[in-house]
Amino acid sequence: MNTNETLIKVEALEKAFEKVDVLKGVNIEIKKGEVVVIIGPSGCGKSTFLRTLNLLEEPTGGHIYFEGVDITDPKNNINIHRQKIGMVFQQFNLFPHMTILKNMTLAPMKLLKMPKAEAEAKAMALLDKVGLADRADAYPAQLSGGQKQRVAIVRALCMDPEVMLFDEPTSALDPEMVGEVLAVIKDLAASGMTMAIVTHEMGFAREVADRVIFIDEGVIAEEGTPADIFSNPKSTRLQDFLSKVL
Amino acid sequence: MPRIFLTMKGIFALVDFFKNLIKEFSRVMLENNRFDFIVDGLKNTFLITLGSLVLGVLLGVIVAIVRSTYDKNHTQFKKRGGFGYYLIVFLDAICKLYLTVIRGTPVVVQLMIFYFIIFASSDNGVAVAIFAFGINSGAYVAEIFRSGIMAVDNGQFEAGRSLGLNYIQTMIHIVVPQMFKVVLPTLCNEFIVLLKETSVAGYVGVIDLTKAGNTIAGRTFSYFIPLITVAIIYLIVVIILTKLVGMLERRLRNSEH
Repeated sequence: MNTNETLIKVEALEKAFEKVDVLKGVNIEIKKGEVVVIIGPSGCGKSTFLRTLNLLEEPTGGHIYFEGVDITDPKNNINIHRQKIGMVFQQFNLFPHMTILKNMTLAPMKLLKMPKAEAEAKAMALLDKVGLADRADAYPAQLSGGQKQRVAIVRALCMDPEVMLFDEPTSALDPEMVGEVLAVIKDLAASGMTMAIVTHEMGFAREVADRVIFIDEGVIAEEGTPADIFSNPKSTRLQDFLSKVL
Repeated sequence: MPRIFLTMKGIFALVDFFKNLIKEFSRVMLENNRFDFIVDGLKNTFLITLGSLVLGVLLGVIVAIVRSTYDKNHTQFKKRGGFGYYLIVFLDAICKLYLTVIRGTPVVVQLMIFYFIIFASSDNGVAVAIFAFGINSGAYVAEIFRSGIMAVDNGQFEAGRSLGLNYIQTMIHIVVPQMFKVVLPTLCNEFIVLLKETSVAGYVGVIDLTKAGNTIAGRTFSYFIPLITVAIIYLIVVIILTKLVGMLERRLRNSEH
């Protein structure tokens, strides 16, 4: 599904918190249909980088072009672009006061003005795909961690996003639930969804990624195919990192 | 070991005491339909309390959203500058002024200013009282709500924004409903406090429960029975409400969502 059309282009991206520089000039292009996995030591800025892509963190320098539009320009309404950028969080962040179905239909109904019946039919179809159709009327607190994360993924998919961002989607899960969530993400990758994934699951990264980005000390220290990165790391920093996590 | 014997004489004395009390109660409270004062007064007390709570909650939500928006985002607003920044700074300043003035002056003074100065042309004391107590209560409710908004996990806010909801939509559909659950017990306690505070409504000629007792006392030259009756009614209402809040708290704790 990898085309040559660029979906996201990041130029000289910088982010500083107070006086700490977290990102120090990140340049990357993500093509349509591409699955980019971002790895790196903790505190290296990989989550911050992901969160700048939909401006949950506002960059302090540089530009992000989404479908050719500079979303870092305050004149552009970020809310419109965010509708096309799905995001899945480490802590799921389902809305605890709404049923699963309501969690999924809220944004399509409010933002896309989708009729209720249509939004619910779409949500049910997606829930069915991830094997949770029977939990549509449950509340998030009644679900296991793995189930919550699967719902969080399909909640984002209800908006028909162009790209999905995953911020350590399995880090808050019990080990036996990691597999079910990764399976959903793999299916999504196979369906041609453009994705940027921050993860610590190296086996998964190798399997699902078209390209692996290694971020260290606020810059992209190395990037390449999974084979390049995992079997033939060039920089000592990457070698050092991989020796610790593999 | 000393023992207390309940002698026949003692029993008679006790029976006499209660007989006299009941006789006095019916003379002071029931003759000439004087108890109607109490019933009407209680009605007004409830009316003022409920009305001002509704007004207070509305005001409180607005002030709380403005204040927490400013607190959470003013550095971002500042960076972006422009109209939005000046608007939020202005609104926040208004809210802060409101909170300072209302919380810094006695409610009786506020009530009298509303009745005798601002709404001098109105003789609807109950409506003015609802207005005054509502504006007063709004200041306290706002701070309850603000702490509630701050207590909602920021991830909830981020999840809403990441779906494309704007700031206001995220507040209305995601943050505020969860905030209500957090603050509901505290809010009910504010309701109880408010109920007792309305006892000063008599200052502007409203016959609330307290004023009703005082009126009866004035007419019968007997203070004991009317004031004790009024106190007992407040106490019973507050005890019932406190029990209800306790039940509510337990249910909220046990509910799964």
